[in-house]
Amino acid sequence: MTHSSDPQAPLTAASAAIPGTAAGSETAKRGKGLSAGSVGLIGAIVIGISCIAPAYTLTAALGPTVSEVGVQVPAIILVGFIPMLLVAFGYRELNRRMPDSGTSFTWATRAFGPWVGWMAGWGLIAATILVLSNLAGIAVDFLFLLISQIAGNPDIAEIAMNPFVNVVTCLLFMLGATWVSYRDMQTTQKLQYWLVGFQVLVLVLFSVAALVEVANGNAFDATAIELSWFNPFAIESFSSFAAGLSLSIFIFWGWDVTLTMNEETKGSSKTPGQAATITVVTIVILYLLIAVSLIAFAGVGDGEFGLGNPDIQDNVFFHLAGPILGPLAVLVSLAVLTSSASSLQSTFVSPARTLLAMGHYGALPEKFAKVSPRFFTPGYATIVSAVVASVFYTVMRFLSENVLWDTITALGMMICFYYGITAFACVWYFRAQWFRSVRNVFFTLLFPLIGGVILGVLFFTTLIDSMDPDYGSGSSVGGLGLVFVLGMVVLLGGVVVMLWQWHKRPAFFRGETLTAAEAETAEEPVH
Amino acid sequence: MSAAPRIVAGYTADDSGALALAGRLARASGALLEVVMVLPSEARNASVPTDSGYERFLKEQSRTWLTTASRALGDDVERALHIRYAESFAEGLIQAAHEFGARLIVVGAARGGLFGRSRIGSVADELLHSADVPVALAPAGSREVPLDLGVTRITTMIGTRPGADALLEASVRLARQTGTPLRLLSLASIDLPAGLDEHLAALTGSAHAEEVLDEARRALPEGIAASAATAAGSSIEDAVRALDWEPGEMVLVGSSRLAAPRHLFLGSTAAKMLRELPVPMIVVPRTTA
Repeated sequence: MTHSSDPQAPLTAASAAIPGTAAGSETAKRGKGLSAGSVGLIGAIVIGISCIAPAYTLTAALGPTVSEVGVQVPAIILVGFIPMLLVAFGYRELNRRMPDSGTSFTWATRAFGPWVGWMAGWGLIAATILVLSNLAGIAVDFLFLLISQIAGNPDIAEIAMNPFVNVVTCLLFMLGATWVSYRDMQTTQKLQYWLVGFQVLVLVLFSVAALVEVANGNAFDATAIELSWFNPFAIESFSSFAAGLSLSIFIFWGWDVTLTMNEETKGSSKTPGQAATITVVTIVILYLLIAVSLIAFAGVGDGEFGLGNPDIQDNVFFHLAGPILGPLAVLVSLAVLTSSASSLQSTFVSPARTLLAMGHYGALPEKFAKVSPRFFTPGYATIVSAVVASVFYTVMRFLSENVLWDTITALGMMICFYYGITAFACVWYFRAQWFRSVRNVFFTLLFPLIGGVILGVLFFTTLIDSMDPDYGSGSSVGGLGLVFVLGMVVLLGGVVVMLWQWHKRPAFFRGETLTAAEAETAEEPVH
Repeated sequence: MSAAPRIVAGYTADDSGALALAGRLARASGALLEVVMVLPSEARNASVPTDSGYERFLKEQSRTWLTTASRALGDDVERALHIRYAESFAEGLIQAAHEFGARLIVVGAARGGLFGRSRIGSVADELLHSADVPVALAPAGSREVPLDLGVTRITTMIGTRPGADALLEASVRLARQTGTPLRLLSLASIDLPAGLDEHLAALTGSAHAEEVLDEARRALPEGIAASAATAAGSSIEDAVRALDWEPGEMVLVGSSRLAAPRHLFLGSTAAKMLRELPVPMIVVPRTTA
């Protein structure tokens, strides 16, 4: 061991247990098999499912999706996975070549320069902030439902409809989630396994119970299951198809993390692929099971419990758990609550890390790049995300007739926006390597390109359709659909902030901090 | 490889003085300093997806913190800088101490202690419950103590409980390394069961204290300059306040009776002292069962 009194003594390589260095594997051998990078297959699947949060996602997205595509929800779930998968491949290629906490922001800047990169980062932050507010909103509903179920008093569930109580409770949730994220408090692996396992089991129980009720003739509006439910071409119009698709992109959102999570772990090159596959198969089966059984039970009409009833569409489990499960409905409330709570924490991470990267590269004030020295989290960025999400929720709660529904639709649009840019960034960044191998043709050109085009089409179709004041939940501002106004305010707001930052911090926009680049052929590993 | 003793300094970016104290100790005793910064291992991660980009950023940031902070040590202290991953700060430090064969781990005692006094922090607390090497707790304000002050006196808290041998041994070793006089201090007069008649307590207490000190003095090897003192007061806190403390003083205490053999555990007496002590305290594990 060399000791030096040079104040800038280099960090000894042996102590750097970052996977990929020689010492990484050494540490792994010594330290109970737990090195810096190993979460393990089951751990990765559990994190993946917990990020997607199927219980939360379905209760929020099923209603709006039914309103767009009717009984063809299973078809749209299957089709919706395709663009997600294609873009995720591009995401993985970029993450391999340029791992960076700014993800879409950094990659788009490298590929297309600072302006496009800035807007991609903005899109990601907007999408995650929208989902944060929606998550907290769903959690509020289920909290009151849970209390009312336990107390045996249905009136308590109605308290959630009072906007003031609702907003205050939601802000408390947000405060709690910020606290947990800021301090990086993690549940133990065991508890996390239980929570995810519980969530999956309750969803299965919920669907099976719905099917049993149908078989017993107790269904609200028994609808015979048909093969055409799985046929995307049975959807009436392209508009509905596009709207349904952008919603189903939301339901798979978060899955991509399993694909990139363990990339760098030595000796487990198969783990990420396996984890991602098992996660997505589990999720798709769950989604189909729930979608089919709930449509069979409740139909898509607009009766009291019909999935076409706008009054229940923003949060279908909330309304259907009771009729289907009776006293066991309390389990659904618990599952959705725990699912939203753990998803709140993992969701907080993305906008915070992107804001941090933007601060780091001088695209935003330097404060955003601050890391809490105690908890190693992007402290300032986390708090800013929480404040913005809270303000957003509060404004929307008073502005919209159906806040949850409209945020979900606007969210789908935002995801299409920044995922689309990310996909194109992948294609453009690797332009010199497209034809270096057959693999490259697919993973750096065709897959992300097709995925990007699909998302682009979805984005513009949704944008144009949402101008109609009847779009989505039917809330409107000045004769324009609220979803459109929301999307425009978010995007144009981004442009305004970008111009302001350009004025304040020209270095980034001159490409001085993060240069545009192209994958060089020399870096290509030999196959 | 040099035979010089090694000290592990547990550095945190909100450093409460661990680095300054470790530097001062290393300088005074000619030890090599291993500055270790522990980052949370991803393996503890159960709900948040890991992201290699952020990991890199964090490592880079930590490297910057570490190099910047270590500049304050000046050129006289030999040091190596390390970044480690572990499930907890304490675990990472203990592993590092084993690996380097270090005889001492230095950490900041606490956050938010009042007026330079220590209130034990969670990191120090975890370390004190699990370490098998002596742990030095740097009180807040350690950074204000000049590095070249060195160690001017070593005070050993003597009792008759098991583990006193190991404590005395550690004190003697440190006194030799730093070339400083030893002060044997007995708290026996205060450390009596509550509810005992006050007068009687004082009487038996001071007699007992003298006895203990004599015994300790006899156990000291040749060539160590030692003085003895008895603390007096109605409580541990009173007694500690009443004593004189030099700015360059170092206090050694043994770990609690309840500690597992060769492991640390901070006893209630030591915990009370820690609250009042204006100088660093080193907790020494018992070596025998």
